[in-house]
Amino acid sequence: MANQNNVSSVAGHPTKVALLGYSPWAWLGAIAAMSLLLVWPLVFSNKFYITIGTMVVLSAIGATSLNLIIRTGHVSLAHAAFMGVAAYTCVLLQLRLGAPFWLAMVAGCLASGLLALILGPIVLRLTGKYFVLVTFLVGEIIRMIFVEWQSLTGGSNGIQNIPPGLDLMKTPTGFYYLALGAAVLCVGIVWRILSSEIGRAMDAVREAEKLAASGGVPVIQLKIMIFVIACTLVGVYGILQTYLVQYIDPSAFNMEASLNLVVMNVLGGMYYLLGPVLGSTFLSALPELLRGYVELQRVIFGVILIVVMAALPGGIIGALGALRRLYQQATSGKTT
Amino acid sequence: MFTLPILSQVLVNGLSLSAIYVLVALGFTLLFGIMRVVNFAHGAFAMLGGYALFYAYGSLKLPYPIAVLGSALTVASFGLIFEVLVYRWFYQKMFQSMIGLMGLNMAIVFTSVMIWDVNERSIPAAASGILTVGELTIPLDRLVIMGITIVVLIMFWFFVTKTRHGLAMRAASQDVEIAAAQGINTTVIYRLAFFVAIFMTALAGGLYAQTYALSPFVGERPLMVAFIVVILGGMGSIPGAALGGVLLGMGESFLSTFYGAAVSSFVSFGVVVTLLIFRPWGLLGKPE
Amino acid sequence: MLNKLKALACMAAVALSSGVMAQEELKIGGIGSLSGGGTAWGIALQRGVQMAVDEVNAAGGLKVGDKTYKPRLVMFDDQYTAAGGRLAADRLINVEQTKFIIGPIGSPSVLGAVAVTSPASVLLLSNGFAPSILKNEAKSPYNFRAMNSTVEFGPAMVKWYRENFPTIKKVALIAPNDAVGQAVVPQLEQYYRDNGFEVWKELYDRGSKEFTPLITRMMAQGVDLLDLNSNAPGEAGLLLKQARQAGYKGKIWQVGGPSVDEIMGIAGPLAEGFISLNVFDFSMPESQKFVATYRAKYGDGVINAQAPGWYNAALNMFEAMRRAGSTDVTKVRDALQKLDGYDAGLFGPVKWGGMGDYGVDHQLLLRFWIVEVKDGKIITRAAISPEKR
Repeated sequence: MANQNNVSSVAGHPTKVALLGYSPWAWLGAIAAMSLLLVWPLVFSNKFYITIGTMVVLSAIGATSLNLIIRTGHVSLAHAAFMGVAAYTCVLLQLRLGAPFWLAMVAGCLASGLLALILGPIVLRLTGKYFVLVTFLVGEIIRMIFVEWQSLTGGSNGIQNIPPGLDLMKTPTGFYYLALGAAVLCVGIVWRILSSEIGRAMDAVREAEKLAASGGVPVIQLKIMIFVIACTLVGVYGILQTYLVQYIDPSAFNMEASLNLVVMNVLGGMYYLLGPVLGSTFLSALPELLRGYVELQRVIFGVILIVVMAALPGGIIGALGALRRLYQQATSGKTT
Repeated sequence: MFTLPILSQVLVNGLSLSAIYVLVALGFTLLFGIMRVVNFAHGAFAMLGGYALFYAYGSLKLPYPIAVLGSALTVASFGLIFEVLVYRWFYQKMFQSMIGLMGLNMAIVFTSVMIWDVNERSIPAAASGILTVGELTIPLDRLVIMGITIVVLIMFWFFVTKTRHGLAMRAASQDVEIAAAQGINTTVIYRLAFFVAIFMTALAGGLYAQTYALSPFVGERPLMVAFIVVILGGMGSIPGAALGGVLLGMGESFLSTFYGAAVSSFVSFGVVVTLLIFRPWGLLGKPE
Repeated sequence: MLNKLKALACMAAVALSSGVMAQEELKIGGIGSLSGGGTAWGIALQRGVQMAVDEVNAAGGLKVGDKTYKPRLVMFDDQYTAAGGRLAADRLINVEQTKFIIGPIGSPSVLGAVAVTSPASVLLLSNGFAPSILKNEAKSPYNFRAMNSTVEFGPAMVKWYRENFPTIKKVALIAPNDAVGQAVVPQLEQYYRDNGFEVWKELYDRGSKEFTPLITRMMAQGVDLLDLNSNAPGEAGLLLKQARQAGYKGKIWQVGGPSVDEIMGIAGPLAEGFISLNVFDFSMPESQKFVATYRAKYGDGVINAQAPGWYNAALNMFEAMRRAGSTDVTKVRDALQKLDGYDAGLFGPVKWGGMGDYGVDHQLLLRFWIVEVKDGKIITRAAISPEKR
């Protein structure tokens, strides 16, 4: 767990000095990861691997944006539908009205945010399980609208031959750095929110809602605000993903896509920022690298979900953290 | 379009649909009512029931009633493995149960894909032939399903109101701690409830697969149907499942026949979403 | 004398060894659904192309110009999605370095793949129904469609029906609202209207298998012909069965499929009188060699009728390479375009068409058959060659 105090404690001993609340190891890991991400296209110059890298990086945006909602205690199964709203809006504005890409992209994200603002107050009043069910249904309704409104969206056949929105998109390497930049921005925004006062309020709301309310936290407004931000951010993912494939159709925004985002969060660790990042890397890269074992992968993901939900609420990160503490306790001897 | 013969046929079709929907929803609502578990793996067990019936009736060619009961019992017994390994960790924990059981669903479905392939198979019909009454037609196999649904409902009502175990289950569903204090062995009761729920689910799944088609993905729709029926009627309520099933079946029959499939889908979803927002505990459920 | 013999022996040795060493591998890419719902078609593609590859290798390799190649199929799964098709194509082109790809199947996947293959000038023989795969501004320089789409078999079939059943007035088109259904229904509607039929249509959400309310709705319209068009085999069978069970007495046929075997399996005796498209006639004498080879390699299961079509596509491509005398994609493409008249053995002489519909003659016009279920058996009623439009 990201250390809120300024010390990493091992059985009560303040050992290493921490910077901004994170141990030196965490900083080292972060720098190593960032370096790898920055040089990825130079190391793997094959276009295919660059594209895989782009997909992984983009899915990190999707997963971390969902993480915001999960931190308030709500699991949304409609997140992919909001992706779709932003993506369709952007594509339609660019292709039908000739709007410049940046404008269309901003408008797209605002559209999904606006929809979240309208639906939020209604659905966020519901508790855990009902919220999941409602988002399940709302996601389906939105997808059905994409399918049925053929004159606008092209229906199930979607819209093909979407031209690159920016010059940067014309090469795999350029697109990769665009995606990386967007991901750094979005994950950065999520990080700032989570480590601020708002983040603490979110934790309070999640753990004990009534207590937080009596403590003065404006619960429903907070939830709505976070919901809107999350749905706006996932629009970035939806739009860039669409321009990568140069084709938009409703099946990219269905229940399975929403479920994948949830799995990324749960797998990696719902209550750590790194969780969805790790989860998205696994889920996006693994199918490509392990081509040919699709069913087995899904079975393993399913089993991991069970285990995580039953016993390891922290996902992979939590498990690693627990292992680390066990190791530290074992090696620090019998000092308790 | 709104003539009497058509309206009567719509009614008959609606009853036929309702029967399947009620059957599919029963196991789902039971698990929620007793153990507060949202069984996202409901579809997977229905699918297993389908494959069991495929072997019992299609391959082994057992007499139909034995095949149906036997296949459901087999799946329910096999399902107890999952009760011990998986479900036990999620009782009374609604949120974790949802995601965890989604995982179980994935695991079971894709294991099934590896065992049997993705191709659709058919299970031979129980009865071929059509009953014609005047201008109304109803296939005999649908009549059989309606009959089975009624029998199951009666048997279940009997079990829950007249037998000791059934009463114990109801007590546990109302308040598990007090029930335990009264000497009811909650572990055994939960296991029994689980067995009964999976039995009903597998039974429904077998009939569903027989009516339509069998594949590892056949459970997706029964899960969706179960959700809708149970939200309509009230999670945890058996009469609610019956009411919800009838409402959904009749609604779909009426709307699809007169206004087309798209309208029917949108309206059903819209109604359910609205109900969830304003009365999430359903028509016959209890607010918590 | 001895010197001459030695010289001859040397030349022979060199000739033999160069023959063996010059068998360079030629990777042929294949894309199809190998998991999920479309697996039957993906496997049909894999097996069909593999059989063509085996045949060429058994005959000593593919002789192109003065080199002999050993073709090898590299097959990737696209999971029947656009992203999957794109990734598979990307991997084939950039990692496997293939320049010739057969597949995918299904418009979303093909459209995803085309986004990568066109800029890379890679030859693509695919089978997606969307007209925009061939019809686009660039005039599809490297895209060819290897099998008939509704645009090719629809008009001929509807015309045949009008000629054989002059009393039928109103046709119902019930289809799923997926990519194929939404593309095909307007096309068929046009062909029916052109032939003097009235049309009623209804699209349902894919995944539903209960059609009785829709059938009741259909019967209230006074429909006398139900066309199962783009329905998947399972749904087509259920539609037919439920229609008959609901008391529908009109005619049922399918401008699409082929799903005759599945429909007979699901509906049993209720399928009597059902007429449909079949893309391959397994009973012809010409087909027996293909069937025997398939059985020897893949056993006794059902042979998906698309497998011969892919076998044919691969053989055509190999012949184009031979005629081009090179594996340069542009030269092979030019030779492929001029392949009219070449007969790979199963479908008669190659005939390219499509200029009228797509602006480019890259549609392979394959012979097809109209079949009927009579007394529990499938009989052939007509063999049709699509017109060059």
